[in-house]
Amino acid sequence: MNAPNEWALLVEGLGKVYGPGGAEAVPGTGPDFGRTVSPSTGAIVGCWDIDLEVVPGEALGVIGESGSGKSTVMRCIAGDQTATTGQARLRSVDDGATNLFDMEPSARRALRIDQLAVVYQDPSEGLDLGVSAGGNIADRLTAAGWRNFGQIRARAAELLARTEVPLDRMDDPVGTFSGGMRQRVQLAKALANRPSVLLLDEPTTGLDASVAAGVLDLIRDLLDETGVGAVVVSHDFNVIEMLTRRSVVMHHGRIVEQGLTDQLLEDPQHPYSQRLVGAARG
Amino acid sequence: MNSETLNSEALSSETLLSTRGLDKTFTLHAVDGRIIDGLQGIDLDVHVNEHLCLAGLSGAGKSSLLKCIHRTYASDRGAILYRTEANVVVDLLELADRDMADLREREIGYVSQFLRAEPRRGVLDVVTRRAVRMGVAHDEAADRAAEVLRRVNIDENLWATYPSLLSGGEKQRVNLAAGLVVAPRLVLLDEPVSALDPANRSAVLDVIADLTARGATVLSVFHDLGAIRQLADRVAVMSGGRIIDIGPAGPVLDRGMELIPT
Amino acid sequence: MRLLELAIETSNETARPILDESSKREVRRAVLTAVAVPGYQVPFGSREMPVARGWGSGGLQITLAVIGDDDTVKVYDQGEDGGVNAANLRRLIRRSEEVETTTDARAATIIQTRHRVPEDELIEDQTLVLQVPVPEPLRGVERDMNELRRMHAEGDYAKMWVSLYEDIVRNGVITQTTGYPCLVNDRYVIATTPIPRWDVPRLHQAKFLSLFGAGREKRIYAIPPHTDVEPLTFTDVAFEVEAIASACRCGLIRPGGERAAYLVELPRQDGTSEWVCSDTDWCARQRVDAGLLDPTTLVETEVEL
Repeated sequence: MNAPNEWALLVEGLGKVYGPGGAEAVPGTGPDFGRTVSPSTGAIVGCWDIDLEVVPGEALGVIGESGSGKSTVMRCIAGDQTATTGQARLRSVDDGATNLFDMEPSARRALRIDQLAVVYQDPSEGLDLGVSAGGNIADRLTAAGWRNFGQIRARAAELLARTEVPLDRMDDPVGTFSGGMRQRVQLAKALANRPSVLLLDEPTTGLDASVAAGVLDLIRDLLDETGVGAVVVSHDFNVIEMLTRRSVVMHHGRIVEQGLTDQLLEDPQHPYSQRLVGAARG
Repeated sequence: MNSETLNSEALSSETLLSTRGLDKTFTLHAVDGRIIDGLQGIDLDVHVNEHLCLAGLSGAGKSSLLKCIHRTYASDRGAILYRTEANVVVDLLELADRDMADLREREIGYVSQFLRAEPRRGVLDVVTRRAVRMGVAHDEAADRAAEVLRRVNIDENLWATYPSLLSGGEKQRVNLAAGLVVAPRLVLLDEPVSALDPANRSAVLDVIADLTARGATVLSVFHDLGAIRQLADRVAVMSGGRIIDIGPAGPVLDRGMELIPT
Repeated sequence: MRLLELAIETSNETARPILDESSKREVRRAVLTAVAVPGYQVPFGSREMPVARGWGSGGLQITLAVIGDDDTVKVYDQGEDGGVNAANLRRLIRRSEEVETTTDARAATIIQTRHRVPEDELIEDQTLVLQVPVPEPLRGVERDMNELRRMHAEGDYAKMWVSLYEDIVRNGVITQTTGYPCLVNDRYVIATTPIPRWDVPRLHQAKFLSLFGAGREKRIYAIPPHTDVEPLTFTDVAFEVEAIASACRCGLIRPGGERAAYLVELPRQDGTSEWVCSDTDWCARQRVDAGLLDPTTLVETEVEL
């Protein structure tokens, strides 16, 4: 059983306010008030008071409707957006002593090379569509200092084979790939330098059901094999159920419920969770 | 898990699991907060290596009790004491989510009548993966998966088929195979034979009987009196979310036939 | 105001300076910054020059700014001193600063050039001024100016590496022939102007100072003497200079010969072509040394207008 301090990713008190006022914008927003727009400043409170913890090999689900703040949480952790307040720590960075939100932007971005990887719903956010599948992986490898062409190619081929991308497509521009194939390349790229934490933002949304199922199987296997700690953001309960053991439910920028994933889906407690599950499960 | 650890004397040595004053209600927020009773004051001891069947009419709370123990349902109050393999007594309701999830992977298995599997994996693959996830090396896991699939009568021609393409009975047997390929210490069985024809039912009941023979403890719900008679060491009869009778299978079944489906 | 000063200066003195002293100082400040931070592109207030931007205006401003009374200037273009553009620039410099000019790279203290580094080995006291059309090595892989600045600031050259990777995958070799990207002083990647690969290794740990001026793009960057200049290459795909495939018509430079130089292809009237040394002055001196050419024909024949 994991000791309490073995987390790979720890998020505490994460808040993001779009607009004026910072913390002063927060009162009057959230599930209790049914709004994210601050009555005092007009700012939008994207998320507030978010605590998350992920241990190696564990996937944590973040459930909620669009606009619930789940993607904001992910983007603040990833560094795509600047958090207004709070902390995020990676065990692999200074043994967790450094708050990522305090890091220099350049050092923060460098984490994305080999510490903290992201798979986006839209492959064009994680891939250069004009570059080949192998070239997209070469991007990550050369950023990490790889300078041997043969080794880069071998590693790219290994990753693409693992993510079930036909190797005869390795040198084709990713823009010529189907949606499911693009997600596989995104996964290969994300895992290229063996990050300790992987953030998955709606990784199968927008794919045909059968294609999504294959990508889901792959993600599940990769999580098992790599021991990476993962945060899975999705509005699709099948995705959350398949990939995660624990989840949080977000609504109006707050976590309204958290627990074991099957319990959240079969016996949700919070009124919003019940509505969400009821709507999805009919 | 330290904060949740209790004195190992909190359970008598022959008890594996004990619920204490377990209450469960369902609050339907969408229906003006209507509250539905689930379980009321359940005190139940499950002995080491016994097969204990929960009996009772539909709606008596049998499945709810299994799910509360598994924490698929959130209990309102009470305690669920469990003696781990390391002989540590924990209250499952006090365990951190992650610790409970770990315990589920290693010790407490829940097998329902419904199959949940990766959509695009063959049957053998599904069962093998379950064993791998529980720490069995891949080759051995594949051997064990093949063995258990044979035992529940899944034809070898189907082993590469996606589970979603199987019949209801086949799915149920694959589900059981996946749940039992590595026998958990405590098996929670929720109507595992409801969709089976007599021949397959018999094969599956043999597999279940074998669980206790191999040292596991089973807490089960069957809709089928024959299965209960064949498998149960003890029976607990439930009605209205309470346990109204408990004891050795034969006498309990003879006393309370009207409360038990046939 | 400056125009007025210029007019007065021009009327009072024989020299007709193109740049006033404060403009020169500004360029020199940019040059000093560039030397202090090897490979970093320093923005500067590029002036209007009497040549069109893109025709050496950046190099010209540097030359005019760093020139001193005792300097001797050589200007050549694609290896030729006699080209129209080189001749025009040389004349402008001579009139503006009243300095000596030469075609002999060994005799020059300042060599302004487009497309070539002289074949002669330059030494410590010499300064090479390169005319740069596109100073941004990442232009081909990134268009966003802010992103470009970020990539340089953070030394994030992954996209450049990817373009080299893709080039090898598509073509089997790195096809970039001129302006090959190089890492300077283990920090900044530069575009080596459109000089051929042949000249790239000669910038590494060079004894001379190289100043790169891009007038249109308003950037100056530098390689100080004795600085590492490493072409971006994979460790298992060697950097190769252009092979000498044919002999120069001078007969001294030929494949497998003991002397080597960069050759260019010249079309003939009959539709065929011949290969000649790109550096014409150097080629002529080789022929003189070999007794193939009368040295008196080397006297500069340019007419002063």
